[in-house]
Amino acid sequence: MSQKILNSILLVAAVVLLASVVIIMGCLYGYFDGVQEAELKDELSLATVATEQGGMEYLSQLSSDGYRITWIDSDGTVLYDTQADASTMENHADRDEIKEALKTGYGSSVRYSATLLEKTQYEARRLSDGTVLRISVDRATTATLVLGMLQPIIIVVILAVILSVILAKKMARKIVEPLNELDLDHPLENDAYEELSPLLGRINQQHYRISSQVRALKRKTDEFEQITGSMREGLVLLDSKGKVISINPAAMEIFGADKSCIGEDFLTVDRTHDITSAIRSAIENGHSEIRVERAGMEYQFDFSEIKSEGVMVGTVILAFNVTEQAFAERNRREFTANVSHELKTPLQSIISSAELIENGLVKQEDMPRFIGYIRTEATRLVSLIEDIIRLSQLDEGSQLPQEDVCLFDIATEVISALKNRADSKNIKLSLSGDGGNMNGAKGLLYEIIYNLCDNAIKYNNPGGTVSISIADTERDISLSVKDTGIGIAPEHQSRVFERFYRVDKSHSKQSGGTGLGLSIVKHAVAYHNGKIHLTSEAGKGTEITITFPKTKSK
Amino acid sequence: MRSRFDEQLDLLNKELIEMGSLCEEAIAVASKALTDGDVELAKRVAPLDEEICKMERSIEAVCLKLLLQQQPVARDLRQISAALKMITDMERIGNQAADISEIIMFLGGKTAEENVLIREMAMAAIKMVTDSIDAYVKRDLSLAEYVIDYDDVVDDYFNKLKSSLIDMIAQKTADGEYVLDLLMIAKYFERIADHATNIAEWVIFSVTGTHKEVNT
Repeated sequence: MSQKILNSILLVAAVVLLASVVIIMGCLYGYFDGVQEAELKDELSLATVATEQGGMEYLSQLSSDGYRITWIDSDGTVLYDTQADASTMENHADRDEIKEALKTGYGSSVRYSATLLEKTQYEARRLSDGTVLRISVDRATTATLVLGMLQPIIIVVILAVILSVILAKKMARKIVEPLNELDLDHPLENDAYEELSPLLGRINQQHYRISSQVRALKRKTDEFEQITGSMREGLVLLDSKGKVISINPAAMEIFGADKSCIGEDFLTVDRTHDITSAIRSAIENGHSEIRVERAGMEYQFDFSEIKSEGVMVGTVILAFNVTEQAFAERNRREFTANVSHELKTPLQSIISSAELIENGLVKQEDMPRFIGYIRTEATRLVSLIEDIIRLSQLDEGSQLPQEDVCLFDIATEVISALKNRADSKNIKLSLSGDGGNMNGAKGLLYEIIYNLCDNAIKYNNPGGTVSISIADTERDISLSVKDTGIGIAPEHQSRVFERFYRVDKSHSKQSGGTGLGLSIVKHAVAYHNGKIHLTSEAGKGTEITITFPKTKSK
Repeated sequence: MRSRFDEQLDLLNKELIEMGSLCEEAIAVASKALTDGDVELAKRVAPLDEEICKMERSIEAVCLKLLLQQQPVARDLRQISAALKMITDMERIGNQAADISEIIMFLGGKTAEENVLIREMAMAAIKMVTDSIDAYVKRDLSLAEYVIDYDDVVDDYFNKLKSSLIDMIAQKTADGEYVLDLLMIAKYFERIADHATNIAEWVIFSVTGTHKEVNT
């Protein structure tokens, strides 16, 4: 900037200097030329008069400093010269001024020296006797003048350059200052230079565009973060070098990492060999998945390669918590295995009994016993299948007829149905409480109380008690079945409601039962929006309390 | 040129972490095999040890190449030389895990399940290895210091275990060979803890440039 200003200032200065020198020289030179010529003419006319009167005498007396006076005869011979010996001088007849003076009475001419640095002005006049008096003066030429002025000119030039530099700097600063002070955040509010307004206008436009783009970008990141932030699945994005680009809160929780891992290698987040090799295989094959157990939860990790125009740009890791799913899968597998096993066992005894009878291996007196086996096993089979059907009905969630029922009445029914069995084990059944009128499916409620009491008798010690109590409060109806039996150990308590789960793993038929009772209870209670609470201590007994909310039923 | 160097350093870092995680896995598998008396599981340790050895070679090669070609200085030089030392310790950890698994195979199903002390000692050793690798990954000086201090805990376990094994021999509750095997295993765990301490010391060196004096 200042260099450019300096250059232009220098150019202007040079042009002005040159022009002024030329013009001043031209004017002055012309003026002095005229003055000198007039002076020379005056001198000549004075000298002419003097010479005509005094002749050679006057001339010899003349001291000649500035002028040179030469007296020339009409034939050109030099008669006298103030600066040189006249005899040595050549004939002057062919000189212009002499010729002219001889012809017209007056002549003048200018001759330059060989170096052009000087010029000599000649003026000649014819005297009355025919001789010619010539006066001449040496004068400096323009070139000499210029040469003489060289030193001051150089000084002026140097001065001009110094001044220009200072000025240029100052100007540049002054010009740039308002530019530097421009408020580029609000380009249109500046009033620096009018010439800048198109630029400022464009800056303003770009500002606007950039800020709108930034806003759009931020909105997109916000959206992305909100989506990934509220995702229950863990999501991690890696770049092509395996560095973390983004990680959502769920993933942070799974990997036990924090925000600081962004930009770091994924190995710093998790260096488990399984995961490292899964990432590697995802990069090779495009996709891979593994299941890993972590902190008691089971996770499924999906690794997919991200490709953009055929180039691998990163990897995305999705982590699902599949604990429940894995649990359900295991349950289903176990259920199927259990169902087939449970169905097969009674059939096996029926078949073997039948085979024995068929082959006549059974004595006539043993016959009723064997047929009895077949009957009990078949009954067991039927009750099992009934239980399964009931469970699957509950699973399906099919609507059952709702009616107003009284829990107390149902409990009484159950007690009378189980009386014989209780008596045979010398167990006392008792019922306390009141009413318990509610709206529900009678069959299911019967099933609940029956199964609970059945279990209470089955797993009771001889001579124990089973007490059923019904409490009817403002908000809910609670039904509790308490026994003094063998109880359930803490590690089994959470699992007794699973299908076919038995505390006694041997599937012993000692106690009978299908292993589905409590599962049916659980589903039936859920059908009535109730809650089950189990308190039990091994060896002391079990109490199962079921609470049905009232609001729903009325 | 410089970016290539950084890339190579990154690669070295990654491989070191991977090797560390292999060590963790090897001793975790070995100790699980020990507590469960699972011979099949114990057999999985040897291939892991082999892989650890292979990684040691490849990391060594990377380090030497870096030293030769890039002539690193200051921090980079420290990191590379620390890596060279650490892989030796890691390789020893892998070897010792393999040795433990060999003894387990020799025990042939006899478990150390009833022996709470050896289980706790194994857990402590695993924790030290995990923490030392973590300290390297996070360049965490305080964690490295913690690992170095934790070595005393493992040493304590070793002494306790030794006296309990002596009791077992004195009261003839177990046969001598079994007790000796257990002692060997305990010694291996104790060595593993020492190697973890070394790793932690090298972590401190690579960060601060001073190597913690070993208190003997």
